Amino acid sequence: MLTRNAAPPSSPCPLVSFDFHCQMSDRLLFPHNLNYGLDRGRRKHESLRLRAGFWESIKSGFLKNNTTQVIETPSAPQEEEEPLPQEFVLTEKTEPNGAVEQIIFSSGGDVDVYDLQALCDKVGWPRRPLSKLAAALKNSYMVATLHSIKKSPGSEGSDQKKLIGMARATSDHAFNATIWDVLVDPSYQGQGLGKALVEMLIRALLQRDIGNITLFADSQVVEFYQNLGFEPDPEGIKGVGNLEPQHHANPIMLLFW
Amino acid sequence: MDFVFGGCVQQAQQAYPSRCMELRWVSSRRKRIIDKEKRALLPKKPLIPPALVPIYVSTIPSHVNPEELKDLYSASNHSCHRFPSYVDSEGAVRVEPVDIHKLSVALSHSSVVVSVFCKPTDVLCATETWSSSSASSSAPLEDLIKPRKTLGLGDLFQKLLPVTPSNGQLVGFGRAVSDFGLTASIYDIMVIPSLRGMGIGRIIVKRIVRMLASSDINDISAVCSENERLFFKACGFGDDILGSTTMIYSRNASTHHQGNQIVIRAGRKLLLAPPHREAP
Repeated sequence: MLTRNAAPPSSPCPLVSFDFHCQMSDRLLFPHNLNYGLDRGRRKHESLRLRAGFWESIKSGFLKNNTTQVIETPSAPQEEEEPLPQEFVLTEKTEPNGAVEQIIFSSGGDVDVYDLQALCDKVGWPRRPLSKLAAALKNSYMVATLHSIKKSPGSEGSDQKKLIGMARATSDHAFNATIWDVLVDPSYQGQGLGKALVEMLIRALLQRDIGNITLFADSQVVEFYQNLGFEPDPEGIKGVGNLEPQHHANPIMLLFW
Repeated sequence: MDFVFGGCVQQAQQAYPSRCMELRWVSSRRKRIIDKEKRALLPKKPLIPPALVPIYVSTIPSHVNPEELKDLYSASNHSCHRFPSYVDSEGAVRVEPVDIHKLSVALSHSSVVVSVFCKPTDVLCATETWSSSSASSSAPLEDLIKPRKTLGLGDLFQKLLPVTPSNGQLVGFGRAVSDFGLTASIYDIMVIPSLRGMGIGRIIVKRIVRMLASSDINDISAVCSENERLFFKACGFGDDILGSTTMIYSRNASTHHQGNQIVIRAGRKLLLAPPHREAP
């Protein structure tokens, strides 16, 4: 199907840049001033409909021979949907007072932006505009989160749910992905939670046959990612950036302990 | 909209209402400058006037035909994989052809797609000049300057028509993926070999940067190999993003492979996925 603005008006091949849209054809060919009698008008309308159909068949026949096809909605990519959100219990711990703390991994991307902002403050990251955070989360390929749920003994419905970790990845859904913003609450660090987050992301990406997984690591965490299977500057491949210092800096560094 | 894209692309099209398409001219004068050192060694020849080539720069994704794009990947010897596997054909080392289905998916989920078109006749002239100049620099001048043949009315008409995506050949391409909040990454910048050195690649990168800037994304990264780094530096990209190290996942299956783990092939790497974890 042709889009309306696909070709500029000065295109040499008039049929290819035909601005006809299926639903428009009636309107364009139907005469505006109906001064005819009803019968004549109806006949005219029918003949006009026939003519529209005629042009449609000519156009579609021509388009089949046309080598430059616009990208139509491919049927195949609809089978490959967004990664199915998973949620499962990563660890479960029973405290001496009987309370149970569960750490839930979720890839549904259901993150409260305010919680995330608070978590970023806890790890000491500079503040970023909330709207940008929200947009980034919405448009990421996958957002993995860790929540801690504390169930107090005896009382029902007084579970404390807290966001304690997050990692996200952007991707073109086919070849490349970049992991950004890996962070874990300082009081929960050192337990392998960050490792779990990143591993889950990698696993989900590789399952989708996305082979180029990249990230930009701060010097303190290079070793951490090396242990996860990342190689720094392999074969001389490096990242370059178009970064300008701004007063609300967007750090690409990944802080992790 | 007639076509279906990922949500981020639709957002892109709402972000800047004017769909950008423009006609530009690139000159091969830059190529002459690069060759100056070589020329100094050769006997003096009268200067060949630089060729002015009209190009059509489009940012509309539907202008890109996946088949043409696949050919451009092959012509530029560019691979979608970071570590491509090489196919030795006719003595030349070439990357494996790109999977067209995956390419369509990647295109539909790219936030910015820039394509450059050129008239096929101009491409042919450029290819002949490029292959003749790279073959032997001491070729007689008469071979390099094409004799003007008498132009018929049809040829004249062809020359006067502006280049458009429908009558032009895809000669340059670039895309970027963004989350429209904080970050963006540029991938797959390419120009066919015969039209390199004329500033087309730079136009593509500048256009991508401009489009992302209009969505208020100013932190753009590009991961590139050694030979591409000079190009990006010339486009204004600095080294080492905020002092960070670029790291790429490359855990090999051969060394750690166990039984029923997920292993995928990405170019010449066989990547092993980490095991699934769940509380007992």
